[in-house]
Amino acid sequence: MKLQSVSLWLLGIILILCSVDSRSFRRCLISTDMHHIEESFQEIKKAIQAKDTFPNVTVLSTLETLQSIKPLDVCCVTKNLLAFYVDRVFKDHQEPHPKILRKISSIANSFLYMQKTLQQCQEQRQCHCGQEATNVTRVIHDNYDQLEVRSAAIKSLGELDVFLAWIDKNHEVTSSA
Amino acid sequence: MLLRLTVLLAALLSLRPGSDAHGTELPSPPSVWFEAEFFHHILHWTPIPNQSESTFYEVELLRYGIEPWKLIPTCRQTLMLSCDLTAVTLDLYHSSGYRARVRAVNSTQHSNWTVTNTRFSVDEVTLTVGSVKLEIHNGLILGKIQPPRPKMAPAGVTYESIFSHFREYEIAIRKVPGNFTFTHEKLRHENFSLQTSGEVGEFCIKVKPSISSRTNKGMWSKEECVSLTRQYFTVTNVIIFFAFVLLSGALACCRALQLYLRRRRKLPSVLLFTKPSAFNLSSQRPCPETQDTIHPLDEEAFLKVSPELRNLDLHGSTDSGFGSNKPSLQTEEPQFLLSDAHPQANRTLGSGEPPELGDSCSSDSSNSTDSGICLQERSLSPGTRPIWEQQVGSDSRGQDDSGIGLVQNSEGQAGDIQRGSALGHDSPPETEVPGEEDPAAVAFRGYLRQTRGTEEKATKTGCLGEESPLTDGLGPKFRALLDDEEGWHPPALAKGYLKQDPLEMTLASSGAPTGQWNQPTEEWSLLALSSCGDLGTSDWSFTHDLASLGCLAAPGGLLGSFNSDLVTLPLISSLHSNE
Repeated sequence: MKLQSVSLWLLGIILILCSVDSRSFRRCLISTDMHHIEESFQEIKKAIQAKDTFPNVTVLSTLETLQSIKPLDVCCVTKNLLAFYVDRVFKDHQEPHPKILRKISSIANSFLYMQKTLQQCQEQRQCHCGQEATNVTRVIHDNYDQLEVRSAAIKSLGELDVFLAWIDKNHEVTSSA
Repeated sequence: MLLRLTVLLAALLSLRPGSDAHGTELPSPPSVWFEAEFFHHILHWTPIPNQSESTFYEVELLRYGIEPWKLIPTCRQTLMLSCDLTAVTLDLYHSSGYRARVRAVNSTQHSNWTVTNTRFSVDEVTLTVGSVKLEIHNGLILGKIQPPRPKMAPAGVTYESIFSHFREYEIAIRKVPGNFTFTHEKLRHENFSLQTSGEVGEFCIKVKPSISSRTNKGMWSKEECVSLTRQYFTVTNVIIFFAFVLLSGALACCRALQLYLRRRRKLPSVLLFTKPSAFNLSSQRPCPETQDTIHPLDEEAFLKVSPELRNLDLHGSTDSGFGSNKPSLQTEEPQFLLSDAHPQANRTLGSGEPPELGDSCSSDSSNSTDSGICLQERSLSPGTRPIWEQQVGSDSRGQDDSGIGLVQNSEGQAGDIQRGSALGHDSPPETEVPGEEDPAAVAFRGYLRQTRGTEEKATKTGCLGEESPLTDGLGPKFRALLDDEEGWHPPALAKGYLKQDPLEMTLASSGAPTGQWNQPTEEWSLLALSSCGDLGTSDWSFTHDLASLGCLAAPGGLLGSFNSDLVTLPLISSLHSNE
């Protein structure tokens, strides 16, 4: 009897931990000030998106694609996309206007901070990448490669709002006004 | 060659503008943009310059990332500079956005496309408020904000469902006709209440919505006005009013109760002493009823009272002066109040002469604490009837103590008086006397007040003069007495009381000549009672008679003492009841 009760207790604890664990990644970026990033983007949105001459092409796919990602893959996808932007988009974009450049730089810095936060979170709980997450990441990279670099970069910058909205939704980030 | 080429080029170039008119070159609209509210997406564009009447615009819409461009036929109208694309952009809030493009078209040509600068997404929706409802409740303004409810919205899609969190509203209040004051406070709920801090008037409120997690801009709502009036019938006011009414009622009741408890009660009639004011006396008689006057007691009254009182052993509460152990007749009706009414006073005892008079006076006098008049029944002759006048409150001089106004009416009455004074005297035949005595005793305090001065004499003379017809036996004597009073030495008159002795009474009753009276008056400071009465006469020649009667011994001593100490000695007359 005692063994049974002990085993039940252990099972319950494990389940609780798992549920907590699955949610933990959603809480990794909770301290990030997303609102600031969104505001910065809104200021340069017009200028950047105006330069996007290929409206029928998308890099980040559609929101539906991103929305179809399961909670377990959120950590992997977030990590991959952050790396995509920091490693490819911000580097490929050449911004002549200093005001816009400043805003882009602030957004890039915020992405770097988010990467670090996510890394700390990842060390505690393994951020395992599933098949679907890997597929989504690959599609995005393919879309980016189909376009000319400058156009792709511009387009990817223009689609930042999609990415930020997806992070808001999946990471329970509290927005500080 | 080169020249020819250049000329050809120039010709071609010159021709080009002409060809534009026929070409597809039309200026495209300078700018295209979306103006969107919640499920109300309108595409705007600026017109091309030199647009003709046949110019119309074509609108195409593209869902971002998905080809192809779709033409919107509803916007194909001439000279229209805006188009409602809500129907084709219902998925705006769940997609990455749309792009739209516009080009000008006329009959022959069409311009290039002008694309919207930005990707039309949720971020470009301007937030609005459907309506604001205001209510007044207890001096507070209660407001309810209604989110927009557009018709084009699909079923189940509401403002709250899309913007589920972080809805905020900013309020601006204005008191007519002032300007708006912005509270800079954001409401997190659609219901709010405003405190106007007692101000009255018209208040106008407008609201601007926002989403704190988004960068969407908000638009101020329409002004909603409400007027506050001063409420007098608020709950608190009514409660206060009723509390005040109750409190005042309670106070009034307490005060009324207090007044009732402290009301002046009427004194019992027994305790009422008629003041010997001039008014009273004058109203009743021209002359004041003083102690000097002796009025015959009414025998009939005595008859009434005597049977009851004879056997009573109660002693008067106050020192009756009579030394009687019978109840004072104060409780009785002052039938024998001689001072009040003339007829009362004129009641004569002569009707029923006391057959006997005991010697109780002398004995009783010794027993009494205060010296008073002691009427010896024995010594009294039927003729002598000193009338005891009830001087209760009847002192003409208004003195506090009521003395006995012993008025000698008739000789025979003296005995009666004695008997009457001798309360408790058991002699049956003297039924009258006790009865007579009792009322007198009631009135009689046992003290004869001495007359003050000539005033009394004068008054007494007058009184006595009137009384003379009433007193048959002692009439002339009284007159003489009265006359003698004048000869009384005023200073000799002392305030005080002369203890009356029954012997004196007898002396008076003996009918001494008036001339004899003169002498004792000088020596005597006549008591008020005895002024004309027996007491006074004691000094007179009556003393002789008294001695003969046997009562002289006592009064003799008294007389001696009186002569010397008239001024000092309190003259107390007490009637001793002879049992």
